[in-house]
Amino acid sequence: MSVDTEPAAVAHAAGSAPTQEVVWHHRHLLDVDVVTWPEIELIMRTTDEMKGILARPIRKVPALNGRRVTTLFYEASTRTRVSFETAARNLSADVVSISTATSSVTKGESLVDTIRTLEALGAEILVMRHSVSGAPYLAAEVFGGHVLNGGDGWHAHPTQALLDLYTMRQHLPGGDLRGRKVAIVGDILHSRVARSNIWSLTAAGADLWLCGPATLLRGMDRWATAWGGGAIPGHGRFHVTSDVDTAVRDADVVMALRIQRERMQGGLLPSLREYAARFGLNAERVSRAKGEAIVMHPGPMNEGVEIAPDVAISGRAVITEQVANGVAVRMALLYLLAGAHEGAHAHEAGHAHEAPHAREAAR
Amino acid sequence: MNALGPGVGDVVERFELEKAWLVDPVSGREGPGEIVVIDGVLESVVWLEGEEAKGVTDKGVVVAPGFFDLHAHFREPGFEDAETVATAAAAAAHGGYTTVAVMPNTSPALDEPGVLERIRSAARASGSPVEVLAFGAVSAGRAGEQLSAMGELADAGVIGYSDDGAPVRTPTLLRSALLYSGMLGLPIVEHAEDLELTANAEASEGYVASVLGLAGWPTAAEVNAVSRDLAVLADALRDEPRVRLHLTHLSTAASLDLVRRAKAAGLPVTCDVTPHHLALADEWIAGARRWAWEALAADGSSRDPWADGALTAPPYNTSLRVNPPLRTPTDAAACLAALLDGTASAVVTDHAPHTVVDKEVEFGKASNGVSGIETALGVLLALVDAAKLPLARAIAALTTGPAAIVAGWPAAATTPAARKRGLTEGAPADLVVFDRADRWIVTEESLRSKGKNSPLIGRELPGRVLLTIAGGRLAYEDPQAGEE
Repeated sequence: MSVDTEPAAVAHAAGSAPTQEVVWHHRHLLDVDVVTWPEIELIMRTTDEMKGILARPIRKVPALNGRRVTTLFYEASTRTRVSFETAARNLSADVVSISTATSSVTKGESLVDTIRTLEALGAEILVMRHSVSGAPYLAAEVFGGHVLNGGDGWHAHPTQALLDLYTMRQHLPGGDLRGRKVAIVGDILHSRVARSNIWSLTAAGADLWLCGPATLLRGMDRWATAWGGGAIPGHGRFHVTSDVDTAVRDADVVMALRIQRERMQGGLLPSLREYAARFGLNAERVSRAKGEAIVMHPGPMNEGVEIAPDVAISGRAVITEQVANGVAVRMALLYLLAGAHEGAHAHEAGHAHEAPHAREAAR
Repeated sequence: MNALGPGVGDVVERFELEKAWLVDPVSGREGPGEIVVIDGVLESVVWLEGEEAKGVTDKGVVVAPGFFDLHAHFREPGFEDAETVATAAAAAAHGGYTTVAVMPNTSPALDEPGVLERIRSAARASGSPVEVLAFGAVSAGRAGEQLSAMGELADAGVIGYSDDGAPVRTPTLLRSALLYSGMLGLPIVEHAEDLELTANAEASEGYVASVLGLAGWPTAAEVNAVSRDLAVLADALRDEPRVRLHLTHLSTAASLDLVRRAKAAGLPVTCDVTPHHLALADEWIAGARRWAWEALAADGSSRDPWADGALTAPPYNTSLRVNPPLRTPTDAAACLAALLDGTASAVVTDHAPHTVVDKEVEFGKASNGVSGIETALGVLLALVDAAKLPLARAIAALTTGPAAIVAGWPAAATTPAARKRGLTEGAPADLVVFDRADRWIVTEESLRSKGKNSPLIGRELPGRVLLTIAGGRLAYEDPQAGEE
């Protein structure tokens, strides 16, 4: 868990000097797993620029003027959807917003047909939220434009991971996460936020700890073991524990994840009260982290369950900063994806295989 | 004459093959030889020696008995948009199969003789000489509540009973089904799955499912079901010595080990494995496309496709969604070990064609199943090419293996279904000719099945089938065969 034990490759990747010639070449953003560290740094730098725009009196630039962004949400969401739509409007894009409750999906239309229809209606960038893991990959196979994953099942939530990373960098000296201890506490098993954060934070060289009750960590131990030897190029190892004190002790960042009430019915937890008592981030637990540690939460919060109300509003909490940074990160990604469009035609034939191409580039 | 191709269904008047590699799993002999078929009869089988045999190797054209698939879904009646008896029979012949036993999860379910008659009549109408056998349902409507018309089904000629697609729902019903089918001299063929443990499950529980965020399908679900089935079998055996249990498409090291021990203890149980569980692994869902044995570390553990940079295809391909799910490379190796040590005595395809409507959807919403009857031989030959499986064992797993399982079922033992499948002079020609050196690329167009849900689409396989003769009649002939 010290800096010394981190694989050299990670230290190298995270420490590489910003190279101006890094060009965004991904047609879609489905997860952060295929995004290289220099590309993540490009996203971070672009986000800096977007933050600059958001600091202006008029928060609107014409970068995506006339471009059509469609948000297609198969799951209820307020903040993610509003964040994407705000980001798109800040870039002057035209925004079409579709939620499944009011669409043909309720009439049994398949995802593929829905996406073909949206494309025929002129959608260029599709922001998609779906309850089934992997759904955006299917979308990317049939959609002619760009797919931006707004969260799929338990699998991935790349924009959340990137805004988390951005927020952490703002609060850490030099914006450097190498060797910094990050503890994520909560329902890891069902969390797309945790999964995407595993990819981005192990790329950043953080000392990552995932913590939750054993029932909500199922399978994650095998993942952590597989990565234990520093086997994955560009990614360090991470830790899995049910001991919240071990996870939080001397942490630089403590993140709580939402606990859903359905988990009680599934027999995974005795009660919310017991969860709060054993795993909830209260002031006493957070005091075991470093003095300057920040507290994060991807929202929406169950105050009094995974996070105590006083912790959520304490000076350490950066939860509203996460929300504000989310708009900037999403502006950056929309900008980068839309900019990739010109170059994409040359690689049209390979578009269905964007993920493997990206993987090749990553190595 | 028919839609299957020129001459299909006709008696093969004369066919001679000189200098091929013959594999006869009945006599246990393989080597250079020649065959002559006249008027549908395998008139002569000549084994060549010395100078005549020179240059003939097992790497080229091979002649083997026609294959016997003990587990396939032909989808008719009820799901003709996914497959019909006619298209499935054509697919089977393209895969080298001359006999196929179909599962009863049709609509309506094959739980009374009328449905069997519909299937037989469709088979006759197809013009294909591929022999179609059938399993009847264990329970009426496959609903898991009361027994199907088991006696009437036996009289009509089913070779056993299965609620495949699902396990026999309760241990109580399983006990009744075993006793009643045992009385009739026929087996229960069990799809071993603890449904309680697999509710909403998407991929084999473990590293790959964790990374992909797919709900875990625990190995315990299969182990638990096999364990239940064996316990009930042992119990029923005390009352009825003719009870037989066949466990189909086993996929885990632990469940195969239970069967290994049960067989050693003398229980009347047999089992089979599928090509996809032998050769593919869960890492394919992440985008890996290497064979399972190539993903095995020296110590028998599974290699890491992310660490190896082995992800070459898009993830979440729904052709890989199958029940039981693709397991780890270690489990695939256990399936192979079970085949080699005789714990599993047959390879079955579990051919499960689906429409794009059922497969071109989100991974978690896709129907389970692989369209596999045309690629089984190629997959087994890939194992042979990799020196993991002797050619003769691969052929036996497709011929004498399943025949011997059926021969162990008292009422089926004397039927043609249990006949020895060898290269026997004077018998109706029932054989397949394939060229191991001739590799072919699996494409949607190359598959005769309506089900294009093959994870091997785009992949090159060894062993193009050149000719299939079933019961003396032409079942399949490679379109390019006559053009040289």
